[in-house]
Amino acid sequence: MTEIPYIASVRRDTGITNQKLGMRLFLAWEVMLYGSLFSSYALLRTRASSWPQEAAIVNVRLAATNTVVLIASSVAILRGVAALRSGNISRFRALMAATGALGFVFLAIKLIEYRGELAEGLRPSTNNFLGLYFVMTFVHAAHVAGGVLVNLFLSGPGAVMHRHDAARFLGRVEAAALYWNFIGVIWILMFPVLYLF
Amino acid sequence: MFRKYVFSLDHKVIGLQYALTSLVFLLIGFSLALLFRWQLAYPGQPVPIVGRWFGELNAPGGMMLPEFYNQLVAMHGTIMVFLAVVPLSVGAFGNYLIPLQIGASDMAFPRLNMASYWTYLAGGMVMLASFFVRGGAPNSGWTSYPPLADFATLGQTFWLIGMSLLIVSSMFGSVNTVTTIVQLRAPGLTWFRLPFFVWAQLVTASLLLLAFPPLQGAAILQFADRVLGTSFFLPSGLFVGGQVVNRIGGGNPLLWQHLFWFLGHPEVYVLILPAMGIVSEIIANNTRKPLWGYRLMVYAIIFLGFMSFAVWAHHMFLTGMGTVISAFFQTTTMIISVPSVIVLTALLLSLYGGSIRFNTPMLFALAFLPMFGVGGLSGLPLGLASSDVPLHDTMYVVGHFHYVVAPGTIFALFAGIYYWYPKVTGRMMNEPLGWLHFAGSFICMNGILFPMLILGLAGVNRRLFDGGMTYVHAQPLHNLQVGMSHAAWALALFQLPFIWNVFASLKLGRVAETNPWHATTLEWAAAPAAAVYRAAYEYSVPGAANDFVPQNSASL
Repeated sequence: MTEIPYIASVRRDTGITNQKLGMRLFLAWEVMLYGSLFSSYALLRTRASSWPQEAAIVNVRLAATNTVVLIASSVAILRGVAALRSGNISRFRALMAATGALGFVFLAIKLIEYRGELAEGLRPSTNNFLGLYFVMTFVHAAHVAGGVLVNLFLSGPGAVMHRHDAARFLGRVEAAALYWNFIGVIWILMFPVLYLF
Repeated sequence: MFRKYVFSLDHKVIGLQYALTSLVFLLIGFSLALLFRWQLAYPGQPVPIVGRWFGELNAPGGMMLPEFYNQLVAMHGTIMVFLAVVPLSVGAFGNYLIPLQIGASDMAFPRLNMASYWTYLAGGMVMLASFFVRGGAPNSGWTSYPPLADFATLGQTFWLIGMSLLIVSSMFGSVNTVTTIVQLRAPGLTWFRLPFFVWAQLVTASLLLLAFPPLQGAAILQFADRVLGTSFFLPSGLFVGGQVVNRIGGGNPLLWQHLFWFLGHPEVYVLILPAMGIVSEIIANNTRKPLWGYRLMVYAIIFLGFMSFAVWAHHMFLTGMGTVISAFFQTTTMIISVPSVIVLTALLLSLYGGSIRFNTPMLFALAFLPMFGVGGLSGLPLGLASSDVPLHDTMYVVGHFHYVVAPGTIFALFAGIYYWYPKVTGRMMNEPLGWLHFAGSFICMNGILFPMLILGLAGVNRRLFDGGMTYVHAQPLHNLQVGMSHAAWALALFQLPFIWNVFASLKLGRVAETNPWHATTLEWAAAPAAAVYRAAYEYSVPGAANDFVPQNSASL
């Protein structure tokens, strides 16, 4: 089997690499997935006879902390990409590990939130807001968990690739960063919709 | 060994894995139809021979219970659409042919390709496993409308899990297909030199990529309704079996329909576009002429792809959405029929003046044209809200979409199998057996489907467990149901020469030369193409040495 071209090098007439195009197409899929969930939220809420005061039920303080954590992790991964571009692999690995760790903190705080709600007797079946809250934040958290695994892999064992195929490794890291920032943006949309409005 | 044949990364092997698996599912889905056709023709009589295999719970004394009938119909639809036709046209034909036709060494992401196949297989296994759980297979129809599906037996949960796996599989596949076509075209293979098949696959992959995730979202919500006790699709004050449902309510069953048909309508084009692609290749090859209006066809299907996201609610005219929304969707629906007509007209005009070779692939491809024509034209009255009201939920609808998919898409897929078989195996399939398969299938298919349109116009509803025997207006037409069932069983017999032909030709088929059909596209080139010099269908070029000039040939 001959080598597949343009994995990490730009094809001139399309101006993009396979890695970047693949990740963008995947994110288009994700946009439609989250789009369907947000539209469901909008439809159920506009048709509802009553809707609970969201901020009174869910834990806004923890979620706000989580927003800060996720933004910090986005900064970390972008700094990591910059470090890798300038060839500073040890700094990259530290920043990537930090991204993974911050993602882990996000998940831990999310778990504390869920426990608090369940302890108060709030279930997905309590009302449709809570149903959407649990489902949408869980789908998002699952995406975060996947991202954490990828980020930790790239900061640890996956970084070996840097030695024999630096361009392809950079492409992978950039794709991971694109995904991670996308997940951050989704959270920034989700936070006001599910906690504040 | 495992890497080569089982967990293969080679697009050809993965394409064949897809082909064999989806053909098995095609046979399973067809068998389910053969079973419930007995019930429609001879309601209440024990199913002969196989009736005793299904147990006392499903068919006591061989007599099919309504619950079992519902399982068969729901799984027939699910298997045919999601496990047979789409994987065959996209997974098998797309995987095998796209890299060859664009002169690439493989798909852009071979591991993703492998993951796509194995996720598909897992999804299919989960779907089949549902037959063996308590309450049997999913029984809420292939559309799984709530509130019914929310309270259906355990099989429905399997349906949701299986469907999620299939959605992930198609996401892997479509990301891969789009990237491959955009990035891996051989030098010189510009956009308007691509074979029409590749264009069709590109639009199909884009539709799969953008239309399927809303169904994933819907499946997650229905899963929550069933497992976590939420009420996303359950209105307040719902009664089930005479009892008030103990749920919070406040949900909206129409939400499911919107999310489902947001996938469902583009899915229709996912079913038909690859078929149009296959038929175009075969027609150009066997008329020995360039396709008439190739560019027009490409523009038409791109437009069709965009429009297909704006027509979904024409499946919902009866839900009381309101006349304004109905008017909008019937307008978009009328508009979207234009590009399909353009493609069909272009293919018909391609035949004009050609000296046509009537081989088996061409017969199936030619039959596709009027059959898809009947399917498409019978859809127009359904696209207009006022005429849809009496026709909706009758057998007319069943006839309409079966004409599109069965003698439409599946005939095109048969055409493709006969056409590319020598490419895959190096041998030709047997022609007389092919003619027999074609003639029998063509007659029987119409024998099953045309009466559906008649029944529907007479007002016979679909989803009737007894074939309409309890309704006075349907009783005089019951002999049609009997005839349709016999046509279906005859259709099964006419598939035997095909099955034999596929396997026996491996050994007995005439050895094929490298380019047996004298085609121009790259998949028939002896070696991977280094560069492409011309458009896809340069047949009968004046002054050329042969009546075909391959795309990778630098000189006439």
